[in-house]
Amino acid sequence: MDEPTPTQKLQPEGEAPDTGTIDRRGFLHKVSTVSAGLTALAVGVPAAGAFVSPALPKKATDDWIKVADDVALIDVGEPVRVNFVKTDQDAWIETRTLNGVWLFTEDGEKFKAYNAKCTHLGCSYVHDKEKKAFYCPCHRGQFDIKTGKVMDGPPPRPLDELEVEVRESAVYVRYRDFRLGIAERVVS
Amino acid sequence: MASPFKWIDERVDLVGVRKALLDRKMPGGLTWFHTLGSASLTVFAVQVVTGIVLAMYYSPSPDHAYDSIRYLQDQVVSGSTLRGIHHWGASAMVVLVLAHMTRVFVMGAYKYPREINWLIGVVLLFIVLGFGFTGYLLPWDQKAYWATQVGTNIAGTAPIVGGIMVRLLRGGSQLGAATLARFYALHVLLLPLMLFIAVLLHLAIIVRQGIAPRTKALDADAPTRTSDAEYSAFYKKAYERSKGAGVPFWPDITTKDVVMGAAIVLILLQLARSFGAGLEPPADPTDSSYVPRPEWYFLPFFQLLKLVPGSMESFVAVGIPAVLVIVLVLLPFFDRKSTRSFSKRPLARASLLAIAGSCVLLVGASMAEDSAEAVAAETGRPLSNVQRAGRALYSAQGCGSCHAIGGKGGGTKEDAPPLTEVGLKHSGAWLHSFLENPLRFHPETKMPSFGPPTLSHQEIEEMTRYLVTLRGPNGDLKKPEFVDTFPPAPKSKE
Repeated sequence: MDEPTPTQKLQPEGEAPDTGTIDRRGFLHKVSTVSAGLTALAVGVPAAGAFVSPALPKKATDDWIKVADDVALIDVGEPVRVNFVKTDQDAWIETRTLNGVWLFTEDGEKFKAYNAKCTHLGCSYVHDKEKKAFYCPCHRGQFDIKTGKVMDGPPPRPLDELEVEVRESAVYVRYRDFRLGIAERVVS
Repeated sequence: MASPFKWIDERVDLVGVRKALLDRKMPGGLTWFHTLGSASLTVFAVQVVTGIVLAMYYSPSPDHAYDSIRYLQDQVVSGSTLRGIHHWGASAMVVLVLAHMTRVFVMGAYKYPREINWLIGVVLLFIVLGFGFTGYLLPWDQKAYWATQVGTNIAGTAPIVGGIMVRLLRGGSQLGAATLARFYALHVLLLPLMLFIAVLLHLAIIVRQGIAPRTKALDADAPTRTSDAEYSAFYKKAYERSKGAGVPFWPDITTKDVVMGAAIVLILLQLARSFGAGLEPPADPTDSSYVPRPEWYFLPFFQLLKLVPGSMESFVAVGIPAVLVIVLVLLPFFDRKSTRSFSKRPLARASLLAIAGSCVLLVGASMAEDSAEAVAAETGRPLSNVQRAGRALYSAQGCGSCHAIGGKGGGTKEDAPPLTEVGLKHSGAWLHSFLENPLRFHPETKMPSFGPPTLSHQEIEEMTRYLVTLRGPNGDLKKPEFVDTFPPAPKSKE
């Protein structure tokens, strides 16, 4: 432990013996603060930027997927499940995931397309021919085929309807996944 | 409810901590050279912060390491800046630690009572070099892979324990997945922990002992040797005196430290933004023609190995680092003269000059060679790695003692044609066959056969690639006119 010598008594801050010292000390404090702040910013900004990078909004990608080569091939009045493999960039690894959509048309011209994941917790629902509804075996959720509305069970919102376009008699769906288990429809 | 500060202070005596740490009196007259230690610490903190975020984007496996770095560089916000800071920070660590060590040496601050802290400092230096060596491999690009091949091979030349050393470093006989996992573990777990503990000790001892005062304060009327009985009493008195004229640690001393740290970090940021960290093509274990370069701070050692004959190599590869460690460790125990002023220590001056001078010369020589190799003087064209390797073989095999290129080299032998424009006269395939067995082409030739076992097919191909570049002045404008004639293929000797 260093004991201050009598000649050089250490003063608590703000009670310096002469204003010269307080100015000097104040100046040194300022310089230190500014320098330390610059150091923190120089490293902190890139580090924080890289850290939060995945949470920042991404550039829109083309997510239109061809689900049928010809309109004529799709059954009228019966929903069909179309599976396709989607290639996702999972950070530095490419992953392929099997995704699906349920297509339904009453006239062969206008199409409804639903994301094939149940809005409750993402199980694959099936077409229940007896009940004329979509039925999710995980927790017995039921959805209306024509509108996607919840008819029974725990799902918090209707089926996720997807945009459909018919180009040169082929059917395209804009596939997206939404956050599951909540009432709002938020793109995940 | 009193302020949180008061509440805590009452229990753990914050004011006492402040008095002990910040209001300490320091000897007066501390210079900017005294900030090098804290600057090393600042950069280490920067390495920790950047390293943690880098680790979030890194996958330590040969399959993904390179891709993950690519992703960081291209896709992550400020990822390339972050990696740049870490890359340049690594060099800054080495520079600052060495500069700090030099300062301590010059001011005689390793002498009584600071021998222990000098030893911890030596440990810290080698931990920092270990960081450099292990971090170099992680991007898993060509440079990383081949430099680590060489680095681990050097360890393998050690007598008796060489084989064990290589397997320990590589986690097997070959450089691969196990090596990468091992280096990653060392780089992010073991070395940081070791450095942290060593720094903590280093700092605790500084706080206990106080910083070494200016040399004048301890040289006047000192006993001749620090081992003398009365020296410790003398030292205590002199040190108290030097503090009497001094200033409090905070903010008088610390301001210089913080300013220095900020200046260095801003320079790192600038280097990172201007030059980044660089990333070569992914590691290719089949491309043995790649000529690796270690990081600059290993260059003196690397160059030294080039200068010694092969028989001496293992001796130098292991001997030099060993001698360095022994000298650094023994320095405070061997040098017991109490004189601290650099101007009164001729031996210290001479040895510092010798070590620093030889390092500068070796780095200079290595860089000069690199730039000379990159552009071949005889053609004035830049050469690829493979061609460079071929050129090195050309001189190593002494081709120049018979053949001339551009008027340089060549002996008195009539029958060795100059090779100034050989790339215009013969195709690569022909040259390769010819090098392998010239007797097939000219039964009378004096040229030796370079086929295996003299040179491997790979090496002959490297030499060929170099010879193809020889097209004389303005060679790029000339159309080659090959006069290749192949004699019938030789019967295989099997």
